[in-house]
Amino acid sequence: MNVLRAWIEERLGLSAVTLFLEKKEVPRHKHTFLYYTGSSILLFLGIQIVTGVLLAFYYQPTLAEANASVVRIMTEMPLGWLVRSVHSWSATFMIAIVFVHLLGIAFTKAYRKPREATWVTGVMLLGASLAFGFTGYLLPWDELSLAATKVGTNLPKAIPVFGAWLTQVMRAGEDVTGDTLSRFFIAHVSVLPLAILAFLGVHLFLVQRHGMSVPHEVERKGVKTPGLPFWPNFAFREAGVWLVLLGLLITVAVVAAPGIGPQADLMAPAPEGIKPEWYFLFMFQMLKLFPARVLGLNGELVAVLIMMAGMAALLLIPFIDNRPAERKGKIITGLAWAGLAYAVGMSIWSLL
Amino acid sequence: MNRRTRVVAAMGIFLLGSFVASGILEARVQEAPQAAVKPAAATAPGQETPAAPRPPRERMAVYVLLAWVWLSIAVLLGLLRMRIREADRVYLMGLGREAEKAPKGPGH
Amino acid sequence: MKLPYSLFSRRAFLNSLIGGWVAALGAAFISPLVKFIVPPTREPDQVSAPLADFKDMAPHTVKGFAWGNKPGLLKKTEEGGFIAFVGVCTHLDCNVSFVAEQRRFYCACHEGWYDENGLNIAGPPPSPLRRLAVSIEGDTLIIKKQA
Repeated sequence: MNVLRAWIEERLGLSAVTLFLEKKEVPRHKHTFLYYTGSSILLFLGIQIVTGVLLAFYYQPTLAEANASVVRIMTEMPLGWLVRSVHSWSATFMIAIVFVHLLGIAFTKAYRKPREATWVTGVMLLGASLAFGFTGYLLPWDELSLAATKVGTNLPKAIPVFGAWLTQVMRAGEDVTGDTLSRFFIAHVSVLPLAILAFLGVHLFLVQRHGMSVPHEVERKGVKTPGLPFWPNFAFREAGVWLVLLGLLITVAVVAAPGIGPQADLMAPAPEGIKPEWYFLFMFQMLKLFPARVLGLNGELVAVLIMMAGMAALLLIPFIDNRPAERKGKIITGLAWAGLAYAVGMSIWSLL
Repeated sequence: MNRRTRVVAAMGIFLLGSFVASGILEARVQEAPQAAVKPAAATAPGQETPAAPRPPRERMAVYVLLAWVWLSIAVLLGLLRMRIREADRVYLMGLGREAEKAPKGPGH
Repeated sequence: MKLPYSLFSRRAFLNSLIGGWVAALGAAFISPLVKFIVPPTREPDQVSAPLADFKDMAPHTVKGFAWGNKPGLLKKTEEGGFIAFVGVCTHLDCNVSFVAEQRRFYCACHEGWYDENGLNIAGPPPSPLRRLAVSIEGDTLIIKKQA
């Protein structure tokens, strides 16, 4: 065993990595539990990749075969329903933890200098995760997913100048067709995985480079926070968190496995009760509530512009909140709480 | 735990619970015949295909798997707790810092 | 009985226990995926075809039929009965053809030859063509796996 270790060490020099992991310290304070969120996202991403590849063994991304191939996976393949259920639920878990991670970083203001780039890559990762959810949702090609995709790809039309073109790019034309399915499939299995791996590489490198951020209210006290070595102390705690998350995932996947609706008919009227996945509900509700005309402008346009402003604000928060400890910082924190309350409130409202 | 932590934890559990509950409800709705929500004019040629372990043998196997998973998790959490306590004890003894103070050998 | 020395440290013991149990749990998670990778076999238990399609065959001629995903070969014998083979070469799974003039089955991949009863007579095939049981019920031809 030691001979093997020495052989690898002479050629790869990985002891630099293990030494770094042993030296790396994780600060201990009231909000240390937030540090578990990042690696939990990685856990679910790994599960998505494995179950996704397995599903792609049998899934056929064509108009004629998509729905039938998913039905086949669920009924004929051994435990196919379970693999699909895990993939579907793990997506939900992953995006939920992405939101918790984002909120944790935002409220502890971990984005302040020198971690602005980490935040920006993080927002890119959020976008990629949501894009994964959006593209994946169409792939079973049942009535609900077709309707949700039609609505979702209709949104960019409201953007002035290039909105209509953007919708055509997403849909591969004017309407949602088999070409849309092919496009979404290749985005979901090739383009987005490459993008997320690229952003993740930069994000993880920056996180290791800068170390763990300490919440500014703790930092302000000036005392050096006690730390915990990453390996083995924090890593084993993280393993415990992973185990519980895995248990929850498999239990929910068995007990609440998703079904599949009848094949989408491009000519049929929209079914009742269309709604997107839960992470898009607040935007969905906002669009439903906006009046047709606002101050003489198209209502949908105003709603989309407000959403885009929100996304821009999210992306640029580290540059906007350049004085986190002072009054400006407190106002921004208050606005962030308001934004969160708005998103949660709208989501719950859309379910009623 | 102080009061604020309790409130935040309760909110967190409520949010998480409502997300999971909505997902489970959605899965239930999808299993019920679609006639309940759709207008009578449109007929679904095939009902919703629910996902579930159908053959009784598979059903038993899946529940056995779940039981084994949770049992293993309980045991592993116990073992991990022992290991973490050991690691914390060693860390607090400060052996790592002592090792750094030792003079390095001829190879350095 | 208290041992004066420990065979291994507390750390090593716990690490091994944790590692072993994680491996067992990992196996529990991986086993459904491993089952999923191999789809269930698609060979049918029996195939039926209308007798009319095969009634007018001349003796020593062969007609194809579908045996699941594989080609099946139905041969009319001298006496007027039928024998059926799975038309897959026993060497490396290529589909075989019937050479009527020689009354032999031929596999083009590596020039394997079988006689009209499916026995391997030349080339690399290690065993005869697989036989299927043929029976006639009314006006239907039933082809089954041989018991």
